[in-house]
Amino acid sequence: MNNLGRILMVEDDPKDVELTLTALEEYHLANEVVVTRDGQEALDYLRRRGQYSNRSQANPAVILLDLKLPKVDGLEVLQQIKADERLKMVPVIVLTSSHQEKDVMRSYKLGVNAYVVKPVDFHEFVNAVKELGVFWAVVNEPPPGSIRKGQ
Amino acid sequence: MALPIATAAAAIAIFIADTVTDVDIAYAVLYVVVVLMAARFLSARGVMLVTAGCVGLTVVSYLLTATTGRPFEGIVNALISLGAILLTAVLAMQAQKATEALQKQASLLNQTHDSIFVRDMNDIITYWNRGAQERYGWRAEEAIGKSSHELLRTIFPIPLGELRGQVLRTGRWEGELKHYKADGTEVIAASRWALQRDAREQPAAILETNNDITERKRREEEIDRLNQELAKRAEGLDQELAKRAAELETTNKELESFAYSVSHDLRAPLRHTVGFAELLQKQASSSLDDKSRRYMQLILESSKRMGNLIDDLLGFSRIGRAETNKSEVDMESLVGEVVAELGQETKDRNIDWNIGPLPVCYGDRSMLKVVLMNLLSNAVKFTRIRKRVEIEIGCADRCEDQAELFVRDNGAGFDMQYVDKLFGVFQRLHLAEEFEGTGIGLATVQRIIHRHGGEVRAEGAVDQGAAFYFSLPRARKQERERGGTL
Repeated sequence: MNNLGRILMVEDDPKDVELTLTALEEYHLANEVVVTRDGQEALDYLRRRGQYSNRSQANPAVILLDLKLPKVDGLEVLQQIKADERLKMVPVIVLTSSHQEKDVMRSYKLGVNAYVVKPVDFHEFVNAVKELGVFWAVVNEPPPGSIRKGQ
Repeated sequence: MALPIATAAAAIAIFIADTVTDVDIAYAVLYVVVVLMAARFLSARGVMLVTAGCVGLTVVSYLLTATTGRPFEGIVNALISLGAILLTAVLAMQAQKATEALQKQASLLNQTHDSIFVRDMNDIITYWNRGAQERYGWRAEEAIGKSSHELLRTIFPIPLGELRGQVLRTGRWEGELKHYKADGTEVIAASRWALQRDAREQPAAILETNNDITERKRREEEIDRLNQELAKRAEGLDQELAKRAAELETTNKELESFAYSVSHDLRAPLRHTVGFAELLQKQASSSLDDKSRRYMQLILESSKRMGNLIDDLLGFSRIGRAETNKSEVDMESLVGEVVAELGQETKDRNIDWNIGPLPVCYGDRSMLKVVLMNLLSNAVKFTRIRKRVEIEIGCADRCEDQAELFVRDNGAGFDMQYVDKLFGVFQRLHLAEEFEGTGIGLATVQRIIHRHGGEVRAEGAVDQGAAFYFSLPRARKQERERGGTL
């Protein structure tokens, strides 16, 4: 597990993880990704608890968050991040297969920075993930206290 | 018989007294008794005869006694007697006439079926007609002299004091009373009271007319009861219906969320299939033979087709759930919009669009756009086999409130034998390699039109084109005049 990841990915489906990483590979961003497999693990990482108690203090530059997660679900994770003084500035992108209106509404109400529906088409999916990765991890200026490129 | 004999005897006695006795008294005055008695049992004519007789007897007595002495006193006595007799006769005949008139009235009152009685201001019955006798079961002799309210055990709708006050104030009262007959059965009466005043304008009596409405009342109550029962049953039905509707809604919601989550969860494995197949194609295509490459291609095509199916199905289920947002929709400009959006597909083709004047309808603009998009892209798709393509969009006037629009093409058409299958979900009349599609488009069209209260139908023949008709409510006239852009 790379503790210096700039992108925190919260995704329980290993195939989606692999496809996402493949897409990010092209821009050599795959190494920057930290993958957590459920909401609890994601919160542990962000708050440096449990197995992550030794990681550096910096926050990821962006969080890619699935909604349907074991243990603590995505909306709950989002709520906790936005309620946390130390974490609320970290950009959160919901990346999900749900375009159910109530999920979209809830996410925006909780302060999500972007809501992306995973396209079925592989090319579109790859493009979406690449653009997200490039924009949020490279182009976007992250809030102070984030892991910066090359760190 | 006793009265005429007594009358005759009295006349003879008076005559003898008047003639024979020497006492100087005007016995003849007593003939008034004879006249009065005669008036009791004789008609006016009889009374006149009796009176004439009495006058004759008086005169005879005078003539017989005039010789005996003081003729002057005798003649005065005779004249006074005659005067008294005649006056009595006139009064008696007048009284007789009045009584006859009263009896006539009473017999008239007896003819009516209403029960009528008269009571004085102390509610003592003074007159009781035959109707009352028949209705209540007491004869006049039994009723007269009794208190009417006690006899009939009257139940009043308002306190008797108030009722009396009203009669004294206004002279009348109308309302419903409850009485009891002689045999104890209950009578509901529509009662009318009228106050009679005497010559000095003092309240004298009350005429009470009662109409038996027991049967009518019973029927009304029966009708009321039936109505209530009916209402209760209707309410029960309503509740049952509401319950069923609620159950249906729950089932529908469950179905929809099931359909949604199925479509939803189907997307993830599909995405993986497509994703990894593409990765495999990229990595291994150089080392694969043609056959394997074709298999790869088929996997990808099938997966994409499944993706389209899922998306269309999701859209279809969304139309069932979505709220409609209705307003005036100018169908002509909407058609123009859709034709323009189809431009990408049609730019290399020779299509003759023939768009007739179209009405302003009332509906959900974005849903109606889906309808037109489906029908027009179908028309474009199924005319691909033609060199010259004609697509006509027009309006066949149906009636005031509804407009029927149609989209007609000169494309592949269809066999009317299968027209019923056209609008079903996943129903296709052409092979996928001829004309692509998921078989949901027309089902979606039908669903949207039904949600607008309209109908869809189709006409066609194999290789001779097809026409699709759909009806929509027109925008109301005044709205059309205000916002009309026809």
